[in-house]
Amino acid sequence: MTVIDTTPVVPVQTRSERPWSFDPEDFERPTGREVNWKLSDLRRLAPLLVDEETEAGERSLDYDTGDAEARGLLVESTGHDAAPRGEIFQPEDLASAIAWKRCANALHVRLPEGQAVEAPVVVRIAGRGADVHGNAHIVIEAMPGSQGTVVLSHEGSAAYAQNVEILVRPGARLEVVSVQDWEDDAVHAAAHQAVVEQGGFLRHIVASFGGGVVRVNPSVRLAGEHAEGELFGLSFADAGQHLESQVYLHHEGVSTKGDVLYKGALQGEGARSVWIGDVLIGSGATGTDSYEKNQNLVLTDGTRADSIPNLEIETGDIAGAGHASATGRFDDEQLFYLQSRGIEEEEARRLVVIGFLMEIVQKVGVPEVEERLAAAIEEELRRGASLAPASRAGA
Amino acid sequence: MSDVLIDRPELEGLGQYEFGWHDSDEAGQIAKRGLSEQVVREISELKNESEWMLERRLKGLQLFGRKPMPTWGADLSGIDFDNIKYFVRSTERQAQSWEDLPEDIRNTYDRLGIPEAERSRLVAGVAAQYESEVVYHQIQEDLERQGVIFMDTDTALREHPEIFEEYFGTVIPAGDNKFAALNTAVWSGGSFVYVPKGVHVEIPLQAYFRINTENMGQFERTLIIADEGSYVHYIEGCTAPIYSSDSLHSAVVEIIVKKDARVRYTTIQNWSNNVYNLVTKRAIAEEGATMEWIDGNIGSKVTMKYPSIYLVGERAKGETLSVAFAGPGQHQDAGAKMIHMAPHTTSSIVSKSIARGGGRAGYRGEVRVDANAHHSANTVRCDALLVDTISRSDTYPAIDIRVDDVVLGHEATVSKVSEEQLFYLMSRGMEEDEAMAMIVRGFIEPIARELPMEYALELNKLIEMSMEGSVG
Repeated sequence: MTVIDTTPVVPVQTRSERPWSFDPEDFERPTGREVNWKLSDLRRLAPLLVDEETEAGERSLDYDTGDAEARGLLVESTGHDAAPRGEIFQPEDLASAIAWKRCANALHVRLPEGQAVEAPVVVRIAGRGADVHGNAHIVIEAMPGSQGTVVLSHEGSAAYAQNVEILVRPGARLEVVSVQDWEDDAVHAAAHQAVVEQGGFLRHIVASFGGGVVRVNPSVRLAGEHAEGELFGLSFADAGQHLESQVYLHHEGVSTKGDVLYKGALQGEGARSVWIGDVLIGSGATGTDSYEKNQNLVLTDGTRADSIPNLEIETGDIAGAGHASATGRFDDEQLFYLQSRGIEEEEARRLVVIGFLMEIVQKVGVPEVEERLAAAIEEELRRGASLAPASRAGA
Repeated sequence: MSDVLIDRPELEGLGQYEFGWHDSDEAGQIAKRGLSEQVVREISELKNESEWMLERRLKGLQLFGRKPMPTWGADLSGIDFDNIKYFVRSTERQAQSWEDLPEDIRNTYDRLGIPEAERSRLVAGVAAQYESEVVYHQIQEDLERQGVIFMDTDTALREHPEIFEEYFGTVIPAGDNKFAALNTAVWSGGSFVYVPKGVHVEIPLQAYFRINTENMGQFERTLIIADEGSYVHYIEGCTAPIYSSDSLHSAVVEIIVKKDARVRYTTIQNWSNNVYNLVTKRAIAEEGATMEWIDGNIGSKVTMKYPSIYLVGERAKGETLSVAFAGPGQHQDAGAKMIHMAPHTTSSIVSKSIARGGGRAGYRGEVRVDANAHHSANTVRCDALLVDTISRSDTYPAIDIRVDDVVLGHEATVSKVSEEQLFYLMSRGMEEDEAMAMIVRGFIEPIARELPMEYALELNKLIEMSMEGSVG
């Protein structure tokens, strides 16, 4: 007797219906077939899928908030039930649910109402070793009419699951930059979830250079009328590195504006990048203007770039929407032009790559952060200089 | 602004099913519902098949049972697999000529206009599928003289077992997906085409398929082999009567395009709005070969169809043009796949989708460039046209690059029919519904102009119906 599996499975029909829960028990252990795991490196992320007390308790990583406390920008750490923790955050995968459960006290950065905070708030997060498992919840809240930049900077090595909850209150303008500059053996899975209220503005930038597996997934809800979101990303994957971002932009409010641009460069055997972009224009989001784009620059053979720019539209009354994805080797014409001006090929290649990635760096708008990102790109190029652009020779 | 967009009666003709009659249903009454090993064995026995085909079918059944339902795409929970007839035989043997066909079948085809099409010599050969088995087909003598084989798949299995066994299931293995496995288990009918080396078939080969039994799954199997340097254009058109409960259509189409050959496969899918249309179509393009899919999806309740091309030989070329129209209650999950497996391969995908009246139309695609496929290029262009505020448009492209020397791009635009466009056309003396239809026609024009004349006319007729505003 043949047993026929015709169990009706109704696939999730829109990105906004993806299941979520605060309880890790509600999530099956990922098999690699799930839409949000199928391109991930589950083998190396395995330590983050185990629901256990983190070894060094709350302080499995070092957090340095610099002068934020002195400037009155740090609120006492926030427990599970203390608002605004959990106001909008909904864990959508197992790693995120474990991080929620296992992090008792959240870090809470708050830009006071009506205040323009000049110098960026920098939170340095340093790992204590690849075998030290850490879980974190970080709340970044920009109060009504406030303005400022918050930088999360990651270094050292760790097995780190991280939730970042971003609240942009009416009329606030917030920039969040997350820099991943880990050692090669670090694994890092981050879920950033943000809401932008009426007239608010969020610029969110993910810059990933170091780390073994780095998965930073930002979700942004443009909930209020005239809310704006700019989601930018920059990644540079070397041999053996897996850099991933699953970006979700949900237009909920009337006349919201969204711009998503992620750029990646890949070099060396086994360098891997994964980019999944979901833009959902909800049925009430009339007058939406949205664009998403992902571009990858492949510098050597042996790399793999996945790019999935999804677009779901539930209303026809929009101002405009589009998306694009392009992957290729850098422009031979540009290279030829530069060489014809007397620039050596190696230097010309360097300039082309820098030109490609600087588009994101220049969007930061904070000089000290821009300088740091530019330096990281230079460092990557130095490392890749010895790698030959393999198959080009066989042209 | 919104009220301009919500009510669009003049567009209601689009996607509406015209052939809403059905013949008295005699064969269907005796067919069993539900699937079991017994049903599969009986199908094979009735067809007097050799042992290897029965084994393939049983393997397909086993894989169908094991494979899970897809966890992505459309909602398929409405399919009741136990309530489907997996095999229906309409006549005992194939008719030799038009006059041999039973009267009700002749009437069916008269209404579909097949004899006219044949007389006008627009059609090279007609294989008309009626309830799982081809009951009528005729090939013009000049084709036979060229050595072209064009017959229903069941006959081909009997008359050309050696070609059949060599290629069957090589492009789409039984375990490819749940519905390909189901097709392998219970397939019946479909077309078989073999074009010998260097032969150019000048006129399109054409087949009509119909579902005519309530709750009857139609599982045709098509196999096309274009030998080196040959050319053929195959056209598949679908119409089906409307019934009260849902039908399942799950075809498998395998195409092998050998060195320097070219195949174009055109589909205008216009199933009635209660049919689940879950189809696996795939072509293999060898060195220097060209494969083209032209895929129109207008009917059905749910369509999940992503014609794919495996570019396995150097300089192989693939092209897919896809148009999807979703009206009320319809979900068109259409798309395309291009898998670059050899150097210097090129492909392009152009997709156009229109959703109205709460329908949902989308593009789902995959482009993969393997590590050895250097100097390959692909472009994907998908455009969606939104004509009201309650319909839905989705784009799910996946791009996977494993080599540095490629050029690849995906671009999509979504536009709504703007008041400005309408106002402009109306200021030139056009009625509003006329203007709307013109915008829609202009939008799908890049696809329509690739269609053979009679299909372009059919598509235009649907647009015209919308212009009149008289339907619905």
